[in-house]
Amino acid sequence: MNEPAGTTGSPGTDDPAGTAAGTPMGAAEAADIMADAARRARRQFRVSHRVTFTVWGLGLLLGYGTMWLSVRGQRLPHGPDLATFAAVTLLSVASVMSGVNEARADSGVGGLSAIRRRASFLSVLAGLAAMFALGGALAHAGASQAVISVFEASAPVLVAGLFYLSTSIAQLNWPVAALGAWLLAVAAAAGFAGPAGVWGVNALAAGLAYLLMAAIEPRLRRA
Amino acid sequence: MNQDGLDPVIHAPARLRIAVTLAALPDGDNLSFTTLQDLIGLTPGNLITHLRKLEDAGYVSTAKNGSGVTARTSVALTGSGRAALERYTTTLRQLLDSASRPQTRDALPNAPA
Repeated sequence: MNEPAGTTGSPGTDDPAGTAAGTPMGAAEAADIMADAARRARRQFRVSHRVTFTVWGLGLLLGYGTMWLSVRGQRLPHGPDLATFAAVTLLSVASVMSGVNEARADSGVGGLSAIRRRASFLSVLAGLAAMFALGGALAHAGASQAVISVFEASAPVLVAGLFYLSTSIAQLNWPVAALGAWLLAVAAAAGFAGPAGVWGVNALAAGLAYLLMAAIEPRLRRA
Repeated sequence: MNQDGLDPVIHAPARLRIAVTLAALPDGDNLSFTTLQDLIGLTPGNLITHLRKLEDAGYVSTAKNGSGVTARTSVALTGSGRAALERYTTTLRQLLDSASRPQTRDALPNAPA
């Protein structure tokens, strides 16, 4: 371009007085600055769900997998306390880690987006809390161990599926909507695998779906 | 406006970076002063000076929440700031187009028929 060279525009060297009197910055240089600033901003404000998907995928595979390994072969599973403890611990760690990851993504950004993201996270926690309460209510009502096992294994996957489907459709985010629909289908179908098999089906079908999403997420974001 | 029709409030490297960075946020969002400072790479004093110019023009708004060590200053692009940046971008694009057109015209006679 033929514009005068003007100021360099390098960060920290700019004249605070501004350039109101003339045009020391050329049009081409201004365009370069705009492109660079936009690129930096996109990188800073980009929210990656890759860590969240990975953590949930591993949490389901290991947590549910442990439960399945400990109860398989039993007609009415009475899972050892250690396995239940491992499953609950892994899912809790997954929840906390994904929450921390999402919070880090919007560090520095306030306003509506941050409020929406926090509200989404809290709605998932509320859904999981309500689900655990309902599990207690089922036991209190005299539901069998088999029914409670099916419910405890599939309900969290159902809650997660509903969350992904409802939030992603509003944003026209079809890959995540597909994950949500898949989780709903898995949660429902896994129940037919019986009180022991339900853990294994959910571990493999839901856990691997999360890991697949984690693998393709960077490519989807670039598309 | 300056001689090129570019808004002089925006047409300075640091203020242009600030405006473009804030415009990357969705409407209703704001950015903390420290994050903006990290992204732009200015000293706090320099950034305050530029923000004041943009604020005087009505292009950005600043708000301070909390007090003491928990105080957080947030910066957001206003509606008129977003509109001004759009006008600036349009004018800049026209300038770049008009600057490249003569070169294209000069190159045409040498192009194969």
